[in-house]
This record gives sequence, C-alpha cells and structure tokens, in this order.
Amino acid sequence: MRHYVKIKTVQELLERIEEPGARILCGGTDLVVKMRSGAIDPQVLLDISDTENLRGIEEKDDRVTIGAATTVTEIIADPVIAGKLPLLETVLRTLGSTQIRNRATLGGNLVNASPAADSAIPLLLYQAEVNISGVRGDRVIGIEDFLVSPGKTALTSDEFVRSVSIPLSQIAFKPFFHKVGRRKAMIIAIASLGALVSMKDAKIDEIRLAVGSVAPRPIRLRELESELTGKAVTQSLIEEAKGAATNAVSPIDDVRASADYRREVIGELVARVLRNAVQG
Amino acid sequence: MKIRFTVNGRAVEQDVRDDERLLDLIRDDLQLTGTKEGCGEGECGACTVLIDGKAVTSCLVLAPQVDGKDVLTVEGLAPGEELHPIQRAFVEKGAVQCGFCTPGFIMSTYALLSVNPDPSDEEILAALEGNLCRCTGYVKILEAVHYAAELMRQERN
Repeated sequence: MRHYVKIKTVQELLERIEEPGARILCGGTDLVVKMRSGAIDPQVLLDISDTENLRGIEEKDDRVTIGAATTVTEIIADPVIAGKLPLLETVLRTLGSTQIRNRATLGGNLVNASPAADSAIPLLLYQAEVNISGVRGDRVIGIEDFLVSPGKTALTSDEFVRSVSIPLSQIAFKPFFHKVGRRKAMIIAIASLGALVSMKDAKIDEIRLAVGSVAPRPIRLRELESELTGKAVTQSLIEEAKGAATNAVSPIDDVRASADYRREVIGELVARVLRNAVQG
Repeated sequence: MKIRFTVNGRAVEQDVRDDERLLDLIRDDLQLTGTKEGCGEGECGACTVLIDGKAVTSCLVLAPQVDGKDVLTVEGLAPGEELHPIQRAFVEKGAVQCGFCTPGFIMSTYALLSVNPDPSDEEILAALEGNLCRCTGYVKILEAVHYAAELMRQERN
C-alpha cells in the first residue's frame, strides 16, 4: 500500500525525506509512468506540487531563481526568462506537449537525470547553479556537477533540489538550438545541441556548446569550445569542428537511433552553429 | 484517503486510493466515461481534462493531487442537451472519425480557446501537439478548431 502525503512546507519535507521508500512527487509526468511500469516502487509519495517556497520565479541581484516545483508552462510564460534567457524559453517550448508542460517541472526534469533532459541544455549553456537543501544542510553546485549519469544526480538521500539559479548578466549571445527526433512534439531527443556564440572582429569571441542524448548525461563540449575561440569561421574550421565534435561525444545504440548516426548528427549540428554564427 | 474537489462545477467528496490515477477516479468512481484511456503514459492525450483551466493528461495525475482543485471533463462542456460550440464544430466539420481521441482533442481545444479566442494554425498545432488521432484526421480537426473559435466569438457578440 502506497502512502500519499501532501507536503506543505520545506521543514515537513526535510522531516520525511528519509522515510523508507520515500520518493518526491511533483508533476508526475515521469514518476507516475515509472511507477506504473514497475521500474520504481515508492512506498511514500511526498507531493511537493503545492509546497510553500518551492514554486515561482524571482529576479534578484542579477540572477533569476526558479523554484524546483515551477512548471515548464510557468517558466515559458515568464517575461524575464523570455527577455533575458531566450534559449531557456526556446528549449522548454519543445519539451513534451502542452499537457506535459502544464505538469512537468524544472526540478523534476533535472532530478530525473535523463541523458536526453531538455532543460539541461540551456542550463549548461547559461551556467546555472542548483540550490540543494538537505537534512544535513544546504549547498549550491554547478549544473555540470549536478548531473552524473543516467538517472543519477549529485543528490544524497537526505537532499532535494530547492531551486535553480541562473546569472542574468550574459553577454549578447546568438542562441542556437536543434533537437533531432521523429516528430516535432513529444520526442525524447535522438540528439540535441544548444549553443551560445558571440563574434568579435569576424572571429569567435566566445562559444558554448551543450549536447544531449550523446553521452551518459547532457554535457558541454569544453575542449571544442576552447579550440574554436578566437578563430575566424572558415570552411576548413567547420570541417575540423565537425570531426572534433564527432569524437567528443560517446553515444550508445538504442531503440531511437544508432551511436554512429548520433555522432554524425552532432557533427552536422556543430557545423550549423558555426555557419549560423557568421550569417547576418 | 478522502479528497474534496469540484468536477464540472459540482462539489465532490470522494474516497480514493493513495496511488489512484485521476483518470480512474473520473472514469470508474465518478462514471464520467467520456474521458478515454489511450496509452496511459501521457503520449496520446485521449485522457486530457482541465485542472484549474490547464489541459493535463489525467493518466499522469494522482487522484489525491486534485484535492481542492477544479476539474473539467468533456461532460462539463455542454450545459444540457445542446452541444458546446467546440463539439458542434467537430461534428459539422467531420473532425470525428472513430471518435476515441475526440474528447481529448475537444478538451485541448477548450483550454486553447479559453485563453486565445482567435488562434493561428501554428498556435492550434502547438496546443494540440499532445493529442494523437490514429485515423489521422488532423486537417479536419484544424478546420474544426478555427470554426469553433468563430462560433464562440459569434456567441459572445
């Protein structure tokens, strides 16, 4: 017999989080599916969808902080997000469907820790930090250290994600995002790539590249980023970058696509980022 | 556990299992069988209902989660014997084939038109992207949504 608890305060959550078989429930768009398929068997469901102080978007001290239980729909509709973090809005519009976005939350998408997690791409690019609370105290860690491997995050059993915080003072980047899948909606990415590029004197001043579904977790392509910085975008640079990107990822064969195909796709998407950066 | 919520404007108090789905609460406990179960994984949209005005797949919501909320199912649209303009539009434009997906499409359309009385093709496709029709009647569904929007605007004037 499963036990459902509507959690009202963060204090209450901290008191119950270590109960045997406890799982945090919010939108349910991943958890309920896994529960019904038998992949997980939680004994206590701690519902944080109406918990005080876990929902909402706040702009303060040049950072925007998004509560873990904020729905994807609420994030997309926020004028600060759309105005200052356009790639976050663009990417979240492609997450699931209208019905899923109305329930799914940013915290949920992160703790689910799918290698294909859409929200991770803009958060990696914008260098977000994850605010964690736990029985033994609070801590803040960068998004790159938070995501570990499929289904695994840096959270320990007494901890939960309180919010995600993103610096707003990002330089004027040209954003790029492309997700490859069989249709436009409701896809789990075969491969995805997001980028932020700024050009100066016809050279790449700064470039950030993040990829999904081609490694055990969504990752930045740091080496390739530094190789490209300071270079002019030429045909030979594009070819070089394509090859480097193909080798920088470690995809697997699965039901959605082969590893080889995923490598090809990432190479092509990096080429598109570079071509796009020098166009208009 | 006991929950209190409103369904189609009616206050309801109901005993539910802790891990019961909203879909089962609606269909089995309340006998509102207009809402359909398709995939049971949130992919197809056949079980779409509105919670506090937002379209959701009721197969992914647990019944205890609607405690204190306002739920609208397809049965709540038509006030009496007369069809709601969205239902009329689906019938008149031939947007119904086997009909299994129709309640879900109608609820997604209702959620869209409540906030956007004159949507573009693109806006309609985005609002309906979580609903699948295996008879593939999408062109007529698109026509029906435009027509429903027109009927609803006429009604308001």
